[in-house]
Amino acid sequence: MSGLAKTVLVVDDAALMRVYYRTILEGAGFLVEEALNGLEALETLLTRPVDLLVVDINMPQMDGLTFLRTLREKAGPMASTPALVTSTEAATADFAAARAAGANYYLVKPVERERLVQIARLLSGVPS
Amino acid sequence: MIFTEAKRYYVERRLWERMAATGSVSFTDYFAHLRTDMHDEIQQFVNAFTVNETYFYREDYQLRCLTNDLVQERVSDKQVGESIRIWSAACSTGEEPYSIAMWLLENWPRVDDYFIEIVGSDIDTRALDSARAGTFGNRALMRLSPELIGKYFAELPDERWQIVSQLRDSVSFSFVNLMEPGDTRQHGRFDVIFCRNVLIYFDDASRRLAAENLYENLLPGGFICLGHTESMSRISPLFEARRFADAIVYQRPAGARS
Amino acid sequence: MPLVRKPAQVAAAQPKASFAEVLTGLAAADPEERWRAARAAAELPDSAAALAAALPQETDARIREAMFTSMARIGTRDSIAGMLPTLRSDDAALRTGALDALRSSVIAKQELLPLLLNDPDVDVRILSCELARGLPSDGASRSLCALLDREVEINVCAAAIEVLAEVGNHTALPALARCAQRFPQTAFLTFSIKLATDRITAAGSRD
Repeated sequence: MSGLAKTVLVVDDAALMRVYYRTILEGAGFLVEEALNGLEALETLLTRPVDLLVVDINMPQMDGLTFLRTLREKAGPMASTPALVTSTEAATADFAAARAAGANYYLVKPVERERLVQIARLLSGVPS
Repeated sequence: MIFTEAKRYYVERRLWERMAATGSVSFTDYFAHLRTDMHDEIQQFVNAFTVNETYFYREDYQLRCLTNDLVQERVSDKQVGESIRIWSAACSTGEEPYSIAMWLLENWPRVDDYFIEIVGSDIDTRALDSARAGTFGNRALMRLSPELIGKYFAELPDERWQIVSQLRDSVSFSFVNLMEPGDTRQHGRFDVIFCRNVLIYFDDASRRLAAENLYENLLPGGFICLGHTESMSRISPLFEARRFADAIVYQRPAGARS
Repeated sequence: MPLVRKPAQVAAAQPKASFAEVLTGLAAADPEERWRAARAAAELPDSAAALAAALPQETDARIREAMFTSMARIGTRDSIAGMLPTLRSDDAALRTGALDALRSSVIAKQELLPLLLNDPDVDVRILSCELARGLPSDGASRSLCALLDREVEINVCAAAIEVLAEVGNHTALPALARCAQRFPQTAFLTFSIKLATDRITAAGSRD
């Protein structure tokens, strides 16, 4: 299993949120990397590809939607990394904005464990 | 570790550096970071206290990156005989700009094709005087081979060494406060800026301002190298990270004007 | 040797821009001119209102960054207050850009924070918790605990707990415990309150 484990890059400026996601995702068999904002995520992706992005919207230096727009315009396979956007923004306008920026799925915070694992497996291609 | 009174200033500086980097507002808060080892803080703390004194060819992976990739890319649209401008933006007693000069002379085959201008600056005028004099103790030379030392240094009494005059005369040193646009703008635009282990000492407001000043000091497509524990991605959105074989450096996008 | 030394000063000092030049520059079509105007505005406190007015129209992220920096550097009440409407923007880049600049403002942290933490807009309250990070431990604990005790939105509580975990002290522990009791069904809050409590307790044992 470990040889096939998928890697998730969690992009969130909130330290407790990153620990929460890490705990859940590692418990479900994923490897987890962290970035504190969109710029740091772009920098991380230069060094190694990942199977899934879990992306917050409001972050310092580069927000999650600008990050996804920038990523989707890059050359190479990393541009099409699946992305789950999680945000406190509950309005439907934010769903539309996230989709337009290149999100593959959108969950409103706080995210429940089962839901996160389910969507992470779906987007990263783990057989259920 | 035993700290003498003379090291007090140094210890305080390193502690402040880690507190600033972790966003701690008091020593108590910082100890909490250390205790819980949040974001690998224990290692960061150790690094801050051990990798400290500067010396020639420090962080040489960045110098390798300079000759393997950065200057190569910078000269791709320059004619032979044009200038390449490099700024060591917090050069202290001069180890960094002299290292850059020596490294280019030793490791870049096209070094004779271009005029290379190296500027060293610091906010500490005594350090600048020392940099101009170009004299160093044994410790600063620990990473250099005897051949390099023989080629670029003259031996002085008491285990001191002085950079040969030809090299001393080819690096210019001046006072620059990185937060003062009036200081930074005077030096024009550069192809590569080295600004290692400086911004970590600044507060949020100063860091933003310094990043904007440095951005203006770069030619479009120019590069800025930070210290190995620093990341521009946590400081400013003005630059783009670029990955090369030896290092990650930050670039003023070629298309972005200012 | 190919290394050359040129006179240290290669560019003449630029004359300070006038207020009129900044106004014209902020509205210019050329991004280079707008960047220069945004930067020069920092030296002209009167230009705060012009910066605030130009912000929503500016499309270049780098110029917006420079505008925020200049507003923070002007640092007057008017100038800082001029950034607040941007916290409500639908554009995530604008509201987080404003927050980054407000972080460096003492006025924002000390005078405006209590108002922002009482703002009717949930998203403004969430973002504003970040500003408390720059306060001394006692002040941060006081403001955020008062918020926790009256707050009904889970995501605002989560934002407050995030900051308390970093900068809070033992005075925050009772409010954290009360919050845990109020939202026992929310796994994330239970998780983060436990983590925050552990960190504060660990920090306190070193005093």
